[in-house]
Amino acid sequence: MSGDMMIQIENLNRTFAHAGNEVKVLQDINLTIQKGECVILKGVSGSGKTTLLSLMAGLDKPSSGKVLIEGEPISKLPDAFASELRAKKIGMIFQHFNLFEHLSVAENVTIPLIPSGMKMKEIHSKVERSLTLANIIHKKEILASRLSGGEKQRTAIGRALVANPDIILCDEPTANLDRDNSLLFIDILKELHSMGKTIVVATHDPLFDNLSFESRVIPMVDGKIV
Amino acid sequence: MTNNAFWHFLTLQLFKERSKHTSVILISVMILFLLSSVLFISSSIRFSLDETLKVQPDFVVSRLQGGSSIATPLAWGDELLDIYGISKVTPRVYGRYYFTAKEKSFLIVGVDFMEEQSHERLQKLIETTDIKTFFGGKQMLVGAGVKTYLEAHFYKSSYNFLTPDGTFEKVKIFNTLPTQSNLLANDMMVMPIDLARKVLGLGSEEVSDITFNVPNPDEWDMMTDKLSALHYDLHVVNKNEVRKSYENLYNYKGGLFLMLFIIVLGTFALILYQRYSMVYSSERRHIGLLRALGWSINDVLKLKLIETLIVVFSSFILGVFLAYVYVFMVGAPILREIFLGGQNLDNVVSFVPVVDFSVLSSIFLIYALPFIAAVLVPVWRVSVTDPKEAML
Amino acid sequence: MNEVLLSNQVIVYLLSESTLFFLLLVAFIVSLRVLIKWDFESFTPLQFSLEKQAYLVTTITLFVFAMKFLLILYFIFSIDTLSLLVPGAMCGAGVIEANDYGSFLLILKLIILFFLTLWLYINAYDMHTKNHQWFKEKSWLFSFIFLLIIVELGLDFSYFSNIDTHLPVSCCSALFGQLEGANPLPFGLSIPLLLVLFYLLYALVILALKTNQTLLYIISNILFVYIAYYAVVYFFGTYVYQLPTHKCPFCMLQAEYAYVGYVLWASLFVGTYMGIADAISTLWLKQNHTKSQKNVGYLLSFFVLLCSAYVAVYYFKNGVLL
Repeated sequence: MSGDMMIQIENLNRTFAHAGNEVKVLQDINLTIQKGECVILKGVSGSGKTTLLSLMAGLDKPSSGKVLIEGEPISKLPDAFASELRAKKIGMIFQHFNLFEHLSVAENVTIPLIPSGMKMKEIHSKVERSLTLANIIHKKEILASRLSGGEKQRTAIGRALVANPDIILCDEPTANLDRDNSLLFIDILKELHSMGKTIVVATHDPLFDNLSFESRVIPMVDGKIV
Repeated sequence: MTNNAFWHFLTLQLFKERSKHTSVILISVMILFLLSSVLFISSSIRFSLDETLKVQPDFVVSRLQGGSSIATPLAWGDELLDIYGISKVTPRVYGRYYFTAKEKSFLIVGVDFMEEQSHERLQKLIETTDIKTFFGGKQMLVGAGVKTYLEAHFYKSSYNFLTPDGTFEKVKIFNTLPTQSNLLANDMMVMPIDLARKVLGLGSEEVSDITFNVPNPDEWDMMTDKLSALHYDLHVVNKNEVRKSYENLYNYKGGLFLMLFIIVLGTFALILYQRYSMVYSSERRHIGLLRALGWSINDVLKLKLIETLIVVFSSFILGVFLAYVYVFMVGAPILREIFLGGQNLDNVVSFVPVVDFSVLSSIFLIYALPFIAAVLVPVWRVSVTDPKEAML
Repeated sequence: MNEVLLSNQVIVYLLSESTLFFLLLVAFIVSLRVLIKWDFESFTPLQFSLEKQAYLVTTITLFVFAMKFLLILYFIFSIDTLSLLVPGAMCGAGVIEANDYGSFLLILKLIILFFLTLWLYINAYDMHTKNHQWFKEKSWLFSFIFLLIIVELGLDFSYFSNIDTHLPVSCCSALFGQLEGANPLPFGLSIPLLLVLFYLLYALVILALKTNQTLLYIISNILFVYIAYYAVVYFFGTYVYQLPTHKCPFCMLQAEYAYVGYVLWASLFVGTYMGIADAISTLWLKQNHTKSQKNVGYLLSFFVLLCSAYVAVYYFKNGVLL
């Protein structure tokens, strides 16, 4: 394993107030993920893995504890900094793909780059590169609503990769895919791993139990790492 | 951030939410149309009035009895000539002639064609009229509204005036008055001064009033005092007072309208606030998604605010343009009655296009500022959507 | 009802000011709540919500700033148009002096714009820190500005409701002229000395700007504005009007002088505001200067050049000075 610590989680707690009760979704999570590692957060729904992932991405704020991305406390940064960090360092792939249905594949992939103020030429080349990597470039002008499940997932991958982030976070990426597409997805993950990207996958899909490339499985139950 | 990709994305977003934007634009355009039309009409009238007043004589002297105007002695004109600082003393003969059948009236204006006129337009009129032919018989020049009216009553080329002493005077129509200042010329009949005296029942040494100019503006106040001291029943009015009273009248009408309009605006602002606050869950998810993909709150705010500005500007341009066409090309049917209503004859007025910075900036401010103010809070509320919403 | 209050522009103006005030009131209430409970280090949902609300305050303030800038131009323009209704007034000067509120109002507006500019600078600095370092300073400044704007709104309504259209006012020649023989210039200066001071102070300002002498810069710029006002009214203005007795800061805003007044005063004030705001935030927050320093230099130089150009052109055309 390489020396740099990509993601550090210290004493992380996340509690929700729900109908007068306090629900402890995450309790005292301590985790360190090295650069280039591939980590599988394994657990059933309700185990807290999705919440942990969103806290890692800075999409949610913890109740206490720290999340550090390359040393930067993403949970405690003002929005402008947190968003910049997210845009540059983190690519996310969601369970339901979360594409803009009325936009084409290429347009969807362009979105993360818009706030950066990059020149159009640079944006174009990055988008092209990303679409090729994700193996969806042949459909770049097609509206997202017309894609199949697997194609949508690949568009999402393309979008996650377009800014060339160091970290890829996936939330139940194969939940809406058939077996063939799931295996294709894992292939892409393997390639990303070989590129040196840090990958975290939250899933309960057994396909991830025995990956052909080096990975660490972290089981989670009831908000705790076991 | 505002690169091509941004505009492209913005356009697509606008298109996606076109139903919301279209309804807002529609109401905006209606409101802007109404407002702009009113403001255009009033500034156009003001302009025409100014133009008319510019060529009017500075002072008018008349005789009052019991508060009403009566015939002014011609001799007063001689007294005026003696006063230093006065020029172009011109006695005027004019009055209303009632067309009893329909209770409409015409304004009869008597002109001494031999003398220099203090009224520039009249002077020009005389210079362009063929005096010889005009004096060939009993003739008159009429305004467009008069011509139309007479023709409708089968008086095609002449009219028989019933004078106060019981006799009839048949007067031929020589020509129509130029339409430039139709506001005032519309129901006018211009004829030689003695003929006018006959029709109006004035004696040979009587006139309706006497006008003159005072070239030095600093002397105007002093002049009023001097003249009032000449005769107890002498009444003097100067041009500035006329301008001010017209200005105040139109300000009054315009001001009342604006006050009422503010109520409309207030309602509009409430509607806007409501409409923009109604954020469907899909839009919320989209914003959450943008935030999840690395867009900061500032970026989203920028997107939403520029969206709003586009709606504001396009409504503004469309509304003002439609109002321009309505007022200056079609003549503002219906609306003109509010401003010109109560006139004697149907005004064949075409409004002089007056569109200046003052009017446009007023329209813009009264519309755009409350609009943006009303949607600022809802837009903010949407823009700070948690990125977590994207996960749901 | 007062005729002035019914004029279109005054209604639009007062409505705009009231709308902005209402927005700011909302921002003020939110800002107070945020300020009281602000604790950046905490992780409560409350703190996160407060950070979001801070964005509302910022957005509203930015909008109000943009509008206030437009509105002061509209205000001056409306005052000019009102001179038709007020007897004796030939330009805005007479209308402003129609009652006691006028000049206070104008000066207050200029002060408010300055503090809004300062707020902009502090906000820019604050947004660049990772812990909202100057959040409190920013909020206090905002509260102060809000108080000023309450006064301004009151003055707005008082001023316009008390313009008597029957009472003649003095026109600029009486207000700025030297009818009584007394010297209107500060410190008993003569015109040549005033001009020397004008150019000297300008040079000092530019020097202080280039050498980053912040305190010196602030003092010299404030002095410069003070002297520049008199220089424009009592010297440069006469060249704009091409009349040695016409001394007025307002007439040059009219169409017959190609609206040059707006350009002249805007370049002076915008340059000064930016410069002093930058300097104050540098001193107060101990930061480095922003890149806007260059623009300040350009604006102030443009102002001086424009003034001098009128004199030069007149001289070249006529061979003599006024």
